[in-house]
Amino acid sequence: MMTRKRLVGALLVAAITAVASWTAVDAQGFKTKPPTPADWSALAKLPDFSGVWEAVTVGRGGGAGRAGGPPRGPQLTPAYAEKKRALEGRRAEDNETANCLPPGMPGIMGQPYPYEFMLTPGKVTIVGEAYMQVRHIYTDGRPMPTDPDPTFNGTSIGRWEGETLVVETGVFSDTTNMDRNTPHSDKMKIVERFRLTEPDRMTIETTVTDPEALTAPWTTTRTLARHRDWTTREYICEENNRNYVDAQGKAGISLKDSPAEKKEQE
Amino acid sequence: MRKVLVMAAVIAAASSMAPIASAHHSFAAFDMTAEKTITGVVKKVDWTNPHIWIWVDVTESSGATETYGFEGMTPNFLSRRGWTRSSMQPGMKVSVTFRPMKDGKPGGMFVSGTLPDGKVLTMRGGETGQ
Repeated sequence: MMTRKRLVGALLVAAITAVASWTAVDAQGFKTKPPTPADWSALAKLPDFSGVWEAVTVGRGGGAGRAGGPPRGPQLTPAYAEKKRALEGRRAEDNETANCLPPGMPGIMGQPYPYEFMLTPGKVTIVGEAYMQVRHIYTDGRPMPTDPDPTFNGTSIGRWEGETLVVETGVFSDTTNMDRNTPHSDKMKIVERFRLTEPDRMTIETTVTDPEALTAPWTTTRTLARHRDWTTREYICEENNRNYVDAQGKAGISLKDSPAEKKEQE
Repeated sequence: MRKVLVMAAVIAAASSMAPIASAHHSFAAFDMTAEKTITGVVKKVDWTNPHIWIWVDVTESSGATETYGFEGMTPNFLSRRGWTRSSMQPGMKVSVTFRPMKDGKPGGMFVSGTLPDGKVLTMRGGETGQ
């Protein structure tokens, strides 16, 4: 039975929740229209991006993590070159992905794991298998929000230019990096151009601009192959992660609660 | 038919290949310039993310048994390249070639393993079955 005190508490929580959700809706703003049968049929006229894709060089050696990777690194302004030198000076043996933190954009699109593309009316959804990341790309004509919260994968708006999906992404968490040991400013923007070059080949041209960090746009191209016989799998990084990097940048392996450790205790 | 296991003709060939770059972590914890091979009995296989772990009981020259831990790729990567969760099973006598851990703990990064029937499992695979 609910006491009077508890009831008041519950009402207060309900009131606060109502205000909080009202604020959130207001901040998000754009209301989608219910899709019509014509909206669903219109998808058939778009290039078929459906299914599971992976970078063509994965599993063939040559550094899968940089598959089809950058011909050259980002050209940094003196201020950001200095930041990079300072980070390199730490001689960190690894970064936070060893502790299961996803890398954010653009790193999350450079993984040696598959990506699944889904087209629905007004939206393209990309599921990245590594770290089970989801990118929501709105193609319903909404503008880029004026002041979105910074996030790992940023806020994405897409449009179709003929057969090419052009995606603009901005406003990233300041905990992520543009490239190894290379921070970005809060003005970093990423434009990706997705297109099919063959029935089961896709290229993604990615251009990073950042007026504070870069002296020139940084463009890379990656080629993906479609695997019609694959499905995306679960990837819970925290399931059994024995790798770590500590606050000093030292990488290591933990044998905690492993058969090897139990053996030691016997 | 059971999917063909990823095989390499010669262990030497397999072990001289560059390791697959990992998205998840660097190789800093392993001595990538060294390579060791041990023989033992599989104790347990963790078919888990972000890496599989194969635990092998090894009888040392002193007669004592030590459990080695070997880190492999992900079930996601391997299951698309011929491995299954039962490719290596507890009780199997295997020899494992690995990059040892720098801190001296028993184990390291799995490079290749030879099963009782002579099949060689690697962490590579690829559609060409290399």
